[in-house]
Amino acid sequence: MVNYAPKTLQEALKLRQETQSVPYAGGTDLMVENRKDVSYLFINRVAELQQVLEDEAYIRIGSGVTFTQALENKLVPELMKEAVSKIAAPAIRNAGTFGGNLGNGSAKADSVLIEYVMDAKIRLLSVNGERIVDVDRFYKGRRDLDLRDDELIAEILIPKQKIEKYAYQKVGGRNALAISRISFAGIVDTQDGKIKRIAAAFGAVADTVLRYKEIEKTMLGKTVEEAKELRETYIKAYMDNMVLTRGRVSAEYRKAVCENLLRDFLELI
Amino acid sequence: MEKISQSVVKKDHAAKMEGRSIYVADYNTAKDGRKILTGKILHSKTARAKVLSVSVPDLPEGYFYVDARDIPGDNNVNIVLDDMPVFCRDTVEYIGEAIGMVVGPDAKEVDRILSGINVELEELEPVLDLRKSTEAFFNYEYGHGDLQKAFAEADKVFDEEFETGYQEQAYLETQGMMAEPEDLDRMFVHGSMQCCYYVHGAVKRVLGTDNIHILQDVTGGGFGGKEAFPSILATEVAVAARKANAPVRCVFDRREDMEYTSKRHPSICRYKAAVKDGKVTALDIDVIFNAGAYSTLSAVVLQRGLIAAPGIYNVPNIHVTGRALKTNTSPCGAYRGFGAPQTFFAIELLMNHIAQDLGVEPLAFKEAHLVKQGDPTSTCGEYHFPVPVQDMINEIDAVCDYRKKRKEYAKAQEGRFRRGIGMSMYFHGAGFTGSGERDLIKAVTRLHKYPDGKVEILASNGEIGQGLRTTFCKIVSHELNIPFDDVFFEHPDTARVPDSGPTVASRSLMTVGELLRRASVQLKEIWKDGEEQEVEERYKEPDFLIPFHLDKFEGDAYPTYAWGVNAVELEVDTLTGVAKVLGAYGNFDVGTPMDYNIVMGQMEGGLLQGIGYSSIEKMDYDNKGRIRNNSYSDYLIPTTKDVPNLKCLLHVEKYPYGPYGAKGAGELPLVGVPGAYVEAMEQALGKGHRLNHAPFTAEDTLFEIMKEVGK
Repeated sequence: MVNYAPKTLQEALKLRQETQSVPYAGGTDLMVENRKDVSYLFINRVAELQQVLEDEAYIRIGSGVTFTQALENKLVPELMKEAVSKIAAPAIRNAGTFGGNLGNGSAKADSVLIEYVMDAKIRLLSVNGERIVDVDRFYKGRRDLDLRDDELIAEILIPKQKIEKYAYQKVGGRNALAISRISFAGIVDTQDGKIKRIAAAFGAVADTVLRYKEIEKTMLGKTVEEAKELRETYIKAYMDNMVLTRGRVSAEYRKAVCENLLRDFLELI
Repeated sequence: MEKISQSVVKKDHAAKMEGRSIYVADYNTAKDGRKILTGKILHSKTARAKVLSVSVPDLPEGYFYVDARDIPGDNNVNIVLDDMPVFCRDTVEYIGEAIGMVVGPDAKEVDRILSGINVELEELEPVLDLRKSTEAFFNYEYGHGDLQKAFAEADKVFDEEFETGYQEQAYLETQGMMAEPEDLDRMFVHGSMQCCYYVHGAVKRVLGTDNIHILQDVTGGGFGGKEAFPSILATEVAVAARKANAPVRCVFDRREDMEYTSKRHPSICRYKAAVKDGKVTALDIDVIFNAGAYSTLSAVVLQRGLIAAPGIYNVPNIHVTGRALKTNTSPCGAYRGFGAPQTFFAIELLMNHIAQDLGVEPLAFKEAHLVKQGDPTSTCGEYHFPVPVQDMINEIDAVCDYRKKRKEYAKAQEGRFRRGIGMSMYFHGAGFTGSGERDLIKAVTRLHKYPDGKVEILASNGEIGQGLRTTFCKIVSHELNIPFDDVFFEHPDTARVPDSGPTVASRSLMTVGELLRRASVQLKEIWKDGEEQEVEERYKEPDFLIPFHLDKFEGDAYPTYAWGVNAVELEVDTLTGVAKVLGAYGNFDVGTPMDYNIVMGQMEGGLLQGIGYSSIEKMDYDNKGRIRNNSYSDYLIPTTKDVPNLKCLLHVEKYPYGPYGAKGAGELPLVGVPGAYVEAMEQALGKGHRLNHAPFTAEDTLFEIMKEVGK
C-alpha cells in the first residue's frame, strides 16, 4: 500500500480527497491497531495543524498539536491541561495529538471529555471548504464520527470562558499508561448567588461521552440554597438517564463511581 | 558490606543494554544458514470437546501440517505425571490446547492455511467452576497433634475462607522455541527457557531418541513461566522440524502467551482455627488449587503451598489437606513463590481477623506466635538456624513508623480519603521441596580451566535476568582469587554442560553456587599454570537434615529459609475505590547477598510484582473458559508511578551451607505482599470490614464501602 506524507495543509486535503487514506498524526492508536491493507496520510509534518492560536471567541488548538506541546502552551485552559497531563506516559504524550484523540472515536479519550464540558466546536476542512460542528454532534457513537471521507480534523475551537469552579477525575487501572475506565469533568459558575452555568460530562462509561444538557437546564438560575435542596433530585435524574456499559470494569461499578463523583461535584455549588 | 556483596557490572549488561543480545525470535537463519520455517499452532477454540476430524486445505509445496500422528516417540510431555500431550489426543481439554501446527516459509501463508482448517468437534460439558470440580490430580494430607482435643477445649473457633486469583508472569519476551535438524539425525532445540535439561528430557521422550541437544538462548524473563511450558513448545517444534526436515521456529504472540500458557494457580483456602487463652492452639486447613486441564507442575506447587499453610507461627496441632483440581482451562504452573503466596495470604489474614476479634493488635498477636530456632516446622522438621523475624519487624517499624501509624489509622476516619497500614511475615523455603535435590536432581557442576588461566563454569542453570551469569562468576573468581573477567559462564547447552538441575525454587545460587565454590576449592588445590584442567563437584545433602518423607509430609521440607517482612501503607479514595500506595516496605533475609545491586533489583521487582498480585492484576475466564485479559491493556501490571515510595532492606542471617552464607533469594519478595496489602486495605476501610480475597481491586473496594450503612 502507498502512504502519503504531505508537507502543507493544501496538499494534505488534496490527498485526503483523492485517496481517502487514513489520517495518521502521532500514531499512538494506529500503531497498536496495525491495520492491514490501508494507506496512511501522515499529517505530522503539516505545520498549519500544529499551532495553538487565539482569536476573539476561541482558543484554537490545531489537530496536530501534541499533548506535550499543549501542556507547555499558555493559551491552553488549565482544565484541559489537567486532563491531558494524565494521558498515558511522556513518550505517548510527546506523539499523541488532539486530532488523533478525537479521530479515534472513543468515549475514553481524555481530551474529548473536556471538549464536551467546555462546549468546544470542531473545525473540519476539505478541499471544498470548512464545516464547524459542535463536539457532541461530531461524536455520534463508538467509532462513529461526523467526518466525511474527504475531510480532515483541523482545529478544536474552545470558547473562551472564565471557569470559577471545576472538578475533574480520571479513574484508570493504574497511575500511568492507563486508559480511562471512568472519567468525569464538571464546571459550575455562580453569579449573584445563582447558578449561571453548569456542565457535567462522563467519559469512558458508554459508547460516547455523556452530557445531559436538559438536566443542566433545570439547574440554571437556581439559587445556591435551592440547588443544595435539590441535589439528590438532580443526582436521581442523572442516574435514571445513565445507561452504562461494562468494559474492563462492571457497569455497576461505573455507575456507583459516576454517582459519587457527581455528588462530590455538586457540593462545589 | 562483604567483598563478595559489592556490586559489579553484570556479564550480560552491555549486550542487553546495547540491543546486541540475540533472542530466539532474532535469528535470521538457522545455524547452518538454512531458512527458518515459521510454525504456528492450531489452538482449540473450545474448552472441552471430542475431536472428530481435522480437514486441512491443500498445502502448497514446502508447507506442512503437523499433529500427533507425526510424533516418533510418546505423545506425552515429560513434566511430572506426563499427562499433557504434545498435540491433542482424542479430546481437547482447554481453550488453546494444541491440535496441530502449520509450518512453512511464509508467515502470512501459514496464517492463511491455519484459518482455512476446519476442525469438526463434538462439544462436551466443560468443568469451569473450581468448587464443582471433582477430579483431583493430587490429593495430600498431613498433620500432627490432637486436633479434636484442641477444638473441643477451644474458647473460640474461627472458620474462614480465602480466595486468590490468577497471576500472569508478564515476562517481556514471549515463549519462543526453535528446532534445527543437524547432521546424523541429531535434533538441536533452542529458545527461551529456564531449564534446559527439563526440555532435554521432554524432547528425548517425544522424539524417542537421545540424539538431541538443547541450548538456552538469551531469555527475556521467566518468573517460573519458563519452567514447564518451554518443554511443551520445544516438543512441538521438534516434531515439526523432524517432519519438515528443516529448521522450525514458533514464537507466541502476546495474546497466545497470555491466554494459553501457564499462570499462578487460583486458590480457595478454608481455615478453621481453635483459640484458647489468647493463643491459636489448632489449625484445620483445606486448600484447593485450580490446576487447569493437565497436571503439569501442580503436584510440587501444591506441596509448597501446603507446607507453608500454617505460616511462621507455632501452632501445636495442625491438620492440612489439599487438592489440585482439574478444570477445562489453561494448565497453571510455576510463578515466583510457587504455591506459597496463596496460603501465606490466607494465614496472614486469618491471624489478623482472630486478633481483631480478640481485641488485640494483629502485629502483637503474630509476634506472640512466631517460630524460633529449634522449633518444629509444620512437617515436624526443625528450624535449624536463627529466625530473625522479630528483629526484621523492628527494623521495618523504624523505617515506616508502623506501630505509630497503625494506632493513628485505627481512629475513626471520615471524609473522602482513608488510610491504613498492614504487615505480613513469611518465609521462602530455600531450594527444592523435600528430598528432591538428593533423589531427583543430583546436581553436577564442572569448572574447566583453559591454558591461559581463564575458567569456564559448566552448569545447566539459566540466566533469566536474575544475574546468574554474574553471581556464579563472582563466587568462582572470589574463591580462586582470580579476576572476575577471567571467569565466564555461557548460556547452557546440554551437549556441553552437566545437569546441575533446573533454574527454579531459588535454588541456583544457594545450591549450585555452593557446588561451584567447592569446585573452586578443588581447582585451587590442583591449579597448575598453563595447563588445561577440569574439576567436578556433585551435590551432597547436608548431614543436619531430618530426612523428608513425602508420603507423610514429614521431616525437613527445606534445609533453611529466607525470611520476609512486608509493610504496605495505603490511602483509599472512597468515591472511586482507588487505592494509592503511600509506601511499600520489604525487609528480606536472603543470607549474604552475592551482589548487592542484583539482590536489591530482585527484591524491589518482586515487591512490586506482589503489589500487582494484591491489587490490579486481575485475570479471569468467562463462562466458556476463555481468558479475556489477554493483552497489556486488559491485564495491567504496576508501573513505578504506582508505588513511587518502595523501600527494601536486607537483613543478613548467614546460611553456613550456602556460598559465603547465601540462601534462596529470587522468589521471597513476592510471597507475602498480599497479606500486608489487604490488611492495610482492611484498616483503611475500618468500620469492621473483613476482607478475604486478592487481588483486591478498586471495584471490590467500592462495593465494600457501599455495604456501609447509608451508602
